[in-house]
Amino acid sequence: MKGKGRLLIVFLGLIAISGLLIPSGAWAVKEIKIGVIFPLTGGAAAAGRELRAGTELAAEIANKVYPDLPMAMAQNAGIKSLGGAKIKLIFKDHEGNPTLGADLAKKLILDDKVDGIMGCYFSSVTKTVSSVCEQYGVPMINTSSTSPALTKRGFKWFWRTTPHDKWFTKDLFEFLNGLTDGKVRGVKAVAKKEITNIASACEKTEWGSHVSQLIAQLAKEYGFRVRKSILYAAKSTDLSSEVRSLKAARPDVMLFASYTSDAILMVKTLKAQRAHPKIIWGQDAGFEKPEFRKTLGDNIVGILTRTVFLPKVVEIKKLAGLVNAMYKEKTGNDLGGASARAFTGLQTWVYLLEKAGSTKPADIQRAANTIYIPGKELVVPWKGIKFSTSGDEIGQNTLGSGLIGQYQKQKDGTVGLEIVYPFDVSSADMIYPFPGY
Amino acid sequence: MEALKNALDFSDFPRIDLVVAACGAAFILAFPLFPHSSFAMATMIQFLMFSLYGMGWNTIGGYGGQVDLGKAQYVGIGAYTTAVMLIRWDIPFWVSMPIGMSLAVGWSFIIGYPLFRLKGHYFAIATIATSLVLLDLFQVWEFVGAARGLEISPIKYSPPDFLRLIFKEDIYYYYIIAGFFFLGIFYINWFRNSRLGFQLRCIKDNEDVARSLGINVHRAKIKTYAIATAFVSMVGSFHACYIKNIEPEDTMSLDISILIALMAMLGGAGSLWGPIIGAAVLIPLKSYLKEWLGAQAGLLGIDLIVYALIIMVISAVEPRGIWGVIERIRRRRN
Amino acid sequence: MDILISSIAAGVLIGMVLALVALGLTIIFGVMDIVNFAHGEFLMIGMYTGLLTAKAVGIDPLLALPVAAAVGFLLGVICYYGFVKFLLRGPMVAQLLGTFGLMLFLRNLALLIFGSEDRALHHGLLVGKSFDLGMGVIIPATKLAAAGLSVIAFLAVWLLMNRTKLGKALTATSLNSQAARYMGIATERMNALAWGIGGGSVTVAGALIVNFWSVNPFVGLLFTMIAFAIVALGGFGSVPGALFASIVVGLIMEIPGIWDFLTYTLSWDWMINVPMTSFKYTFVYLAYFIIMVIRPSGLFGWKH
Repeated sequence: MKGKGRLLIVFLGLIAISGLLIPSGAWAVKEIKIGVIFPLTGGAAAAGRELRAGTELAAEIANKVYPDLPMAMAQNAGIKSLGGAKIKLIFKDHEGNPTLGADLAKKLILDDKVDGIMGCYFSSVTKTVSSVCEQYGVPMINTSSTSPALTKRGFKWFWRTTPHDKWFTKDLFEFLNGLTDGKVRGVKAVAKKEITNIASACEKTEWGSHVSQLIAQLAKEYGFRVRKSILYAAKSTDLSSEVRSLKAARPDVMLFASYTSDAILMVKTLKAQRAHPKIIWGQDAGFEKPEFRKTLGDNIVGILTRTVFLPKVVEIKKLAGLVNAMYKEKTGNDLGGASARAFTGLQTWVYLLEKAGSTKPADIQRAANTIYIPGKELVVPWKGIKFSTSGDEIGQNTLGSGLIGQYQKQKDGTVGLEIVYPFDVSSADMIYPFPGY
Repeated sequence: MEALKNALDFSDFPRIDLVVAACGAAFILAFPLFPHSSFAMATMIQFLMFSLYGMGWNTIGGYGGQVDLGKAQYVGIGAYTTAVMLIRWDIPFWVSMPIGMSLAVGWSFIIGYPLFRLKGHYFAIATIATSLVLLDLFQVWEFVGAARGLEISPIKYSPPDFLRLIFKEDIYYYYIIAGFFFLGIFYINWFRNSRLGFQLRCIKDNEDVARSLGINVHRAKIKTYAIATAFVSMVGSFHACYIKNIEPEDTMSLDISILIALMAMLGGAGSLWGPIIGAAVLIPLKSYLKEWLGAQAGLLGIDLIVYALIIMVISAVEPRGIWGVIERIRRRRN
Repeated sequence: MDILISSIAAGVLIGMVLALVALGLTIIFGVMDIVNFAHGEFLMIGMYTGLLTAKAVGIDPLLALPVAAAVGFLLGVICYYGFVKFLLRGPMVAQLLGTFGLMLFLRNLALLIFGSEDRALHHGLLVGKSFDLGMGVIIPATKLAAAGLSVIAFLAVWLLMNRTKLGKALTATSLNSQAARYMGIATERMNALAWGIGGGSVTVAGALIVNFWSVNPFVGLLFTMIAFAIVALGGFGSVPGALFASIVVGLIMEIPGIWDFLTYTLSWDWMINVPMTSFKYTFVYLAYFIIMVIRPSGLFGWKH
């Protein structure tokens, strides 16, 4: 035993010495660490799962070679300009709590020493996390938080790929106007006075409260009347008072900004109280999730939602179809607004790193401010990605766009989204008015 | 001068206590000079903050015997005053903090008068009610940002800014809160030997007897409540500058009120070291349990289960908290 | 007008269900002077029990009530013998601390077992159905059934307390535990029974409530506060007080609806912009505070 033991020690010693002698960089392919902060638990856990899956899929494609995908990042394994370095994702769960999100960001930056951050879905959490990143000079890409205020703070280390709510809410009013002009496919022109009265119910944090303000602002510009605007807590387990209040205003149009569990609860309550406005519209988020569809089934037929991506897009974009197939294989669901944008966000990170050719923050910053990713590289139907560097919205992608979809019964009996706006790409006749409960 | 002498007079503690306290103080002063993770630093700052919260709570809750479960509203008043004054009028921390304290104390007088007619559980629940009402008000009040909250912009000020308490590195925050911490200890030391402290102890023992001795019970309680409020509000102001992002749900929730009371009670309500011990045990426990257990394999909540079990055991076995256990052991030894 | 009727109806119905929630609290307090901060967590457990029993066995949630009652009774008794018993020896501070600990424990146990996402009932005999009373007044069938069953349960407990020997023993213990002991009533047993009945009633209320409210591990606290308000208003220890106060509190929670009614009837536009729905629970807390300050023994209470 003594002899064998000594042999073992010598053997280990040789290995240790060889490890010291041979320079560590030679065979160690560098890793790029990206910290990703999502709501993996809590009321939006369903969204968190999607976001995570979208991000992971993009990282997979970046790290391996998929020659059949017409996407630049699928053609190399890892980041070519960094010697094939692979992307490593470090996921953290902010549970919907902005302070926790900021703490996690700090830990990722100071302890895990990430090269960049991505996240966080809830605008309220993105607000605090981006603040931390700005303080420490670490680049952050935001993919799905749409409160306009986030890019109005003059931050130099924050870039947002998704268009924000001002755009989307404008889309809504353009759509409503289009309804009165007869531009909507399958619907004869509707008299303005039939849809003048609006009531809105939005969740009350950073995101929803801004949507509420935008609705009030744009309604005035476009000549509509907001009779009631309610702010509520997304975590509520009962919304019957709120729905009763909405109904009391006797609106023609009901507008919502809700996360997942509250969107489901809201629609259930609307049904229980037999609400029958002419139009129901949701500002994406909860209204667009697979959970929403699965839980409510046929009850959502006729509901409109803002969206950034829906399965019908695959008919317009071949790349979207290919990636959607991969995503479906991975998770069993189609890509949606959250997953598609998370995918796009990680994709943006890859292109940034390629362009920068280094992980130094200043280089990434320069790359971000000059990059242009053409629309054909993207899964989402945008013109491309190019971040604004002047004016009052630094870091905002100016080439994005939104869609408005309506839930309709498909030929196979399931309920799915049809495009109703922009008018020229609508995929089906709109159901008007809302069939009611 | 008399007051200062009282504040520095720790002679009624056994020698071993003072040695341990001195070691603790040395550790606190030296901690940032050793290599540490940002996580450890954040935990230490939390510990110092909650010790201060606990010390403040202890005046009315421990020495005074009235369990107050609504302290979070004063954290909010302090934090929001500082944040609003900084964001809107660029007023430095050292001015806004006392103003916050005054506002908080003012509010405490307003609700204190009716509140202190109650005792026991009724009082406790009433404090919860007032805190929740204030929370709901802040959630819709646009002036303080409603449910969105307020953000102290990281780019508008150039750190290190000692006037406005804006720093990039945590170490500055650490030493400032440590400074408050030591001041707090001296203050409570003075308090427990002061006339008000003495009056409170009489009241806690037997209110009727105290009244017959000529003590104005109602006024004593309200004065003490104001002191507790001032402590909590002061740390609240610090909190705003440290976290730089405050929301009603986050700063004034019931969970915070409960944590404050819990730590002080666990450590030992009614003693000088109790709240500090409570915070020293519970804060690292909470953080590290969450880090090790909570994030593992999606075992969400297991850290708080351990936490809760500790609380349950202490409350059933030794209601006077950890300090009570220490005293019991000492008595047995003697 | 329909707004007013809908609101009042909703308030009364929810009040009747809340009566059962408050009942448990007031019994426990009446018998042993301890305030159970974990009360809302019992309700939460009742909600999960109702939900999961219905899903697992495939029966209608309304039929899961006996299961919920049994679970609640057992849980109450276990909590008493396993923990609360020891708290009674200590000062009030320890009792508060202890039931807090219990609250945190139950809440996070539920978090561990069930996860943090909302769950709700989507299928059932009455889920999704409602009665249209005309004039735009809609009453969801589940709420009506829940209110009815709640009142039945409430009456059952009241009968138990007043007409059975066991119940009278309980009442005796709450009036004067020393005297009751001299009469041969085992205080320990009575305490445990109080916890059992208290726990059982609130879990049944939970199983009823889950028919129309969603559940997640954090819903307990709100209900604890509402229950406290009801018990304070009705009088700590008074069972009829609990019923009356619950309906009052149910109506208080419908103040936004009544406000809306006034807004549209009086056509004072400034009223529209007041965010009343954000305050639906605030009024309950305010009511608690005001009652405690003006009349601490509540409307019917005999204990202070």
